[in-house]
Amino acid sequence: LPTRPVDREKAERELNDNIKKATNADETAPKQKHVRKCMVYTWDYHSSQSVWTGLRVLPILNDEVQTFKALILVHKVLQEGHPIVLREAQAQMGWFETCARTVGGDSMKGYAPLIRAYVQFILAKLRFHRHHKEFNGLFEYEEYISLKNIDNPDEGYETIMDLMNLQDGIEQFQKLVFAHFRGSGHNECRISALVPLVKESYGIYKFLTSMLRAMHRRTDAMDALEPLRGRYNAQHHSLRRFYYECANLKFLTSLINVPKLNHDAPNLFDSRDEPSLP
Amino acid sequence: MSFQNMGKSAMRVGKNYVKGYTDVQVKVREATSNDPWGPSGTQMNELAQLSYNQNDFIEMMEIMDKRLNDKGKNWRHVFKTLTVLDYLLHAGSENVVIYFRDNIYVVKTLREFQYVDEAGKDQGGNVRQKAKDITNLLMDEARLRDERRGRSNMRDRMQGSNM
Repeated sequence: LPTRPVDREKAERELNDNIKKATNADETAPKQKHVRKCMVYTWDYHSSQSVWTGLRVLPILNDEVQTFKALILVHKVLQEGHPIVLREAQAQMGWFETCARTVGGDSMKGYAPLIRAYVQFILAKLRFHRHHKEFNGLFEYEEYISLKNIDNPDEGYETIMDLMNLQDGIEQFQKLVFAHFRGSGHNECRISALVPLVKESYGIYKFLTSMLRAMHRRTDAMDALEPLRGRYNAQHHSLRRFYYECANLKFLTSLINVPKLNHDAPNLFDSRDEPSLP
Repeated sequence: MSFQNMGKSAMRVGKNYVKGYTDVQVKVREATSNDPWGPSGTQMNELAQLSYNQNDFIEMMEIMDKRLNDKGKNWRHVFKTLTVLDYLLHAGSENVVIYFRDNIYVVKTLREFQYVDEAGKDQGGNVRQKAKDITNLLMDEARLRDERRGRSNMRDRMQGSNM
């Protein structure tokens, strides 16, 4: 299947090792080199079954840090793995629910509420992708999708609402992560959960901007779009605050570039396709 | 050349022999080694020309794939292979473009590459930036076509002036 020079048997063996190392009990960020190997595996073989099997057979759920790291791993593979991961994850609801259920109410290191909220967010993301198969895991901008949706304004409206709901879900979860930072210690493990959230929220933001602009170009009923404009502006300001807080976390800015948004939300009546950003 | 580097390059010669690398593969390994200087223009140009031969192309991709998936400690392998790849996308055969469009995820997933060396210096930043640039180039078909055309026009002009 892959055009790369690969060896499937070796890949399967190494995959289990990579899952194990990415989800070990150290209270640190899951190592990106191990996460990357999982992503590359799903692209090479167009399958994520071995990833799910690997997660099930390892004793991850006995430990709150390991469970949290497993969720970060899964989130990243959903985002940047082969699109089939989003489809195959639909059959893993049971595993996600077990993650949320297994962790006790009074966990020692305080990850229990984060785990439950993370599971809730990932389930919401999976529901979105079940209804909107045209989006990839990072909502990377593709002009044709936004054009396709505005041909049918009702469908476009609904897609925008669903995207905005997901964006609100990110907002709630990131606030909870910040609220659980501990004065002592470096919070590296918690901060590393913000990395996929920054990427995903920015993908959604760019998409919403381009889609709303396209809708404004095509429609005569500007009033009908007023509620969307209001909500878009509110989300712009929340995101701007989120990115500002992220930009102050040195560990996070050493991993990714955090976008910087202008004070004012982009003008939706503008004809440019992307928000003007660095 | 420092003594340490001499030792390294002697090792490389030995490994080339033991592992049975072809002449072309040895050239790729030399251009993307752990030596602290970049691949030379001459080296990259030679590789670009070789990529037009189907057999040489396959042999090159085998080594480049290994190098791109190397571990953090060998970040120079990864970085220099991206440098060579950038050059090949501009001046190499169309096969390079096709191959890396198919396997874009190998480069794309390097955008979060991490390596902090023993001195605490972040050596991953170079790889992250280069991976980002090449990903953008691969995804922008029109720009890549333009840049490839510009490059071959320049080559034609330069060769013309030599005559």
